[in-house]
Amino acid sequence: MAATITRPETDVSELEDLSYELREKLLLLCGEYDGSVHIGGDLSCADILTLLFQYGMHVDPQDLRNPERDRFVLSKGHAAVCMYITMAIRGFFDYREIVDTYGQLGSAYGMHPCKVQLPGVEVSTGSLGHGLPLATGMALHGKRSGMDHRVFTLMGDGETGEGSVWEAALAAHSNNLGNLVAFIDRNRQLMTSFSEERVKLEPYPDKWRAFGWNVIEVDGHDMAALVQAFDSLPAPDSDVPTVVICDTVKGKGVDFMERNLAWHAGSLNDTDLARALASLAHGRKAA
Amino acid sequence: MSTAAKTVTAPGTDQITSFTFGELLSSRTVIGQTLKELGETHDNLWVLTPDIGATLVEFRDTYPDRFVDVGLSEQACVGIAAGLANEGNIPVVSGMLPFLSMRALEQVRSDICYPNLPVKIVGTHGGLVGNGGSTHYAVEDLGLMTSLVNMTVTSIGDPLMVGEVLRQSMAMTGPLYIRLAVGKKDKVVYEPGSVQIEIGKGITAREGTDLTLFAHGETVSQALDAAGILAREHGINARVVDMFTLKPIDEDLILRCAEETGRFVVVEDHLTYGGLASQIADVIADRGIRLDGFRRLGIPQVFAGFGEDTELRDKHGYGLQATVDAALAVTA
Ligand SMILES: Cc1ncc(C[n+]2csc(CCOP(=O)(O)OP(=O)(O)O)c2C)c(N)n1
Ligand SMILES: [Mg+2]
Repeated sequence: MAATITRPETDVSELEDLSYELREKLLLLCGEYDGSVHIGGDLSCADILTLLFQYGMHVDPQDLRNPERDRFVLSKGHAAVCMYITMAIRGFFDYREIVDTYGQLGSAYGMHPCKVQLPGVEVSTGSLGHGLPLATGMALHGKRSGMDHRVFTLMGDGETGEGSVWEAALAAHSNNLGNLVAFIDRNRQLMTSFSEERVKLEPYPDKWRAFGWNVIEVDGHDMAALVQAFDSLPAPDSDVPTVVICDTVKGKGVDFMERNLAWHAGSLNDTDLARALASLAHGRKAA
Repeated sequence: MSTAAKTVTAPGTDQITSFTFGELLSSRTVIGQTLKELGETHDNLWVLTPDIGATLVEFRDTYPDRFVDVGLSEQACVGIAAGLANEGNIPVVSGMLPFLSMRALEQVRSDICYPNLPVKIVGTHGGLVGNGGSTHYAVEDLGLMTSLVNMTVTSIGDPLMVGEVLRQSMAMTGPLYIRLAVGKKDKVVYEPGSVQIEIGKGITAREGTDLTLFAHGETVSQALDAAGILAREHGINARVVDMFTLKPIDEDLILRCAEETGRFVVVEDHLTYGGLASQIADVIADRGIRLDGFRRLGIPQVFAGFGEDTELRDKHGYGLQATVDAALAVTA
C-alpha cells in the first residue's frame, strides 16, 4: 500500500504531545494576529488533524505531487490555520512564517486554504459543503485507476446540513468508494446555535448508515481511540465508504472557550492568551 | 452631506438612541432593529437565516413564531422563504452573500423571481471585504442578480439607509436584493433627512460639474474622499452619485449627469464587468450618449487573495488614489 511513502511511527503518547503542541501554537497565533481566528472549530479538530497528518496518512512534505500519496480535503475550510500548523509540525511549512504573515496582503496563509497560493494544500475550500463532492471525485479517480491510496476529508457537523454533502454521500456509496474516508467534527455546535436546538441532526450515525456508509463512532479527543479507529478502517480497495463521527468539544482545551457560542471565532488579547495557555496546561496536567 | 460631527436621532429608529454623524455604526445592528420594528407593523414578516446573523436575536426573541434558522442550508433557506411568500408572507433572508447569491442562485431565480414573490435577500460580504479569501467575497453577485428578471438590486454603504430601504421594501410586490460590505462598522454618509432615499433613484451625494463619480456601497465614501482631494488639490469639481439601486437603473440621472458633466468614472467593489459600470455603459450605448471620458474601476479578472479591504482595493487598482487618478485622466 502506497509503497513509496512511509507513515511516521508515532505512538499514542507522542501523538498527544503533538496535539498539545498544535493547540499551543494555535493559541499563540490567535494572540499575535489582530483579526479574528476560528479558534473554536480549530481546537475541536486538533486531535483529528494530528491523527491524520502525524500518524495515519501517507504523505511526504518533500514530494507533494507523488501520485501514491493519500489526499486530504479540509472541507471545513475555516479550520485552515489548524491545518497549516499541523502540516508545519509535519514539515510541510514553517510555523514562524505562518504566524508572521497570516491573513496579510499577499500571504499564502489565509483564513481559508487556497491550493493555488499554497502548494501542499490539495483543494481550495471555505464555502461549506464542497469537500465531500470534491473528495468523492478524487476517490473515484483513485478507484477507477486501480490505485490504493485513500482520500480523506474533514467536515463540520453543521456543514452536513448542506444538501451537496448528501448528494455526494449517495454518489460515493453508489460508486463503491471504499477508498473514501470522511471524518466529522461532531462538536454539536454551528456558528450561532447548538445542534439539536434549531437543527436536529440526530439520529446522526443512522443517517450515514441509511446512505450505505460504514460508520465508526469515536471520542475525537481520545488519541488512543482515534488511533484504534484509524487502524480499523477497511482496506482502500474495499467497496464501502467510511465516515468517522468524532465526538468533540468546540474550543477543546481552553475552559472559557469550550461549548461557548461566542468562541466560534475570536481574537485573544495578552491577558486572555495567558488565561488560555494556562487552561491548556492545566488540562494536560489533569489528564 | 456634511462632515461636522453631531449627534442626532435617526427617524424611525427609536432604539438607536443617537449616533455621532460621520462616525461608524453597524448595519447589522440597524437591520436587526429595523426588522424588529417592522415585525410589529407587519404580522406577515418572517426572518430566515442559514446559521448567520447574531444580530437577528431581537427579532427572534420578539417573534419566535416568525423566525427560522435552518442551519447550513442556503438552498433550502431560500426555497423555504419562497414557500412562505407563496402563502402571503413577506420573508427576509439574511446571510452571507457569496453563499446566498451563488449556492442558492437557482432557488433565487426560479422559486422567487420567476413567480415574482416579495422575498428580500439581505447580506454581507459584498466585495473584497472581511479577509476571508475568494470563497468569501461576493464579487460577481451584482452581475448575477441584475440579470434576473423581476429582481430589484441594491448595494448600500450607509447603515441608516439600509433601515430606510428595508422599510420601503415592505410595499414591494417583487424580490429585492440588498448588498452590504461587512456591515459591522459603516460610515454614516448622509445626515438623516438630508437626502431623499427612494429605491430606483440615485442620490447625488455631492454636486459637481467637471465629472461624475458613480459609486455604490462602501465606495461612495471613497468617491466623496476622492472628490474632496480633487477639489482641494486639483481645482476639479467632481459630482458624486450614489447609485445604490443598480436595477432598475436611474436612467434619467445618468442622462442628466452626462449632459451636465460629460465625463464619468465608475468605482465599485465588484468585478469591473457585470456591476454598475456595465449598467451605466448599457444606458450610454442604448441611448447613444456621447461622453468625453469614461473609466471603470473595480476588481479585474482575478481571484483577489487575502488582505484588508483598503489594501486589496489599492492592490487591484480601485482604491482612493486610483479614483483620483482616473478622475484626473478623464478630465485632462
Ligand atoms: C456555504 C457556507 N455558508 C456559511 C458559511 C459561514 N460559516 C463558516 S463556519 C460556519 C459554521 C460551521 O459549523 P460547523 O460545520 O459545525 O463547523 P465547526 O463547528 O467545526 O466550526 C458558518 C455558518 C460558510 N463558510 N459556507
Ligand atoms: Mg460544529
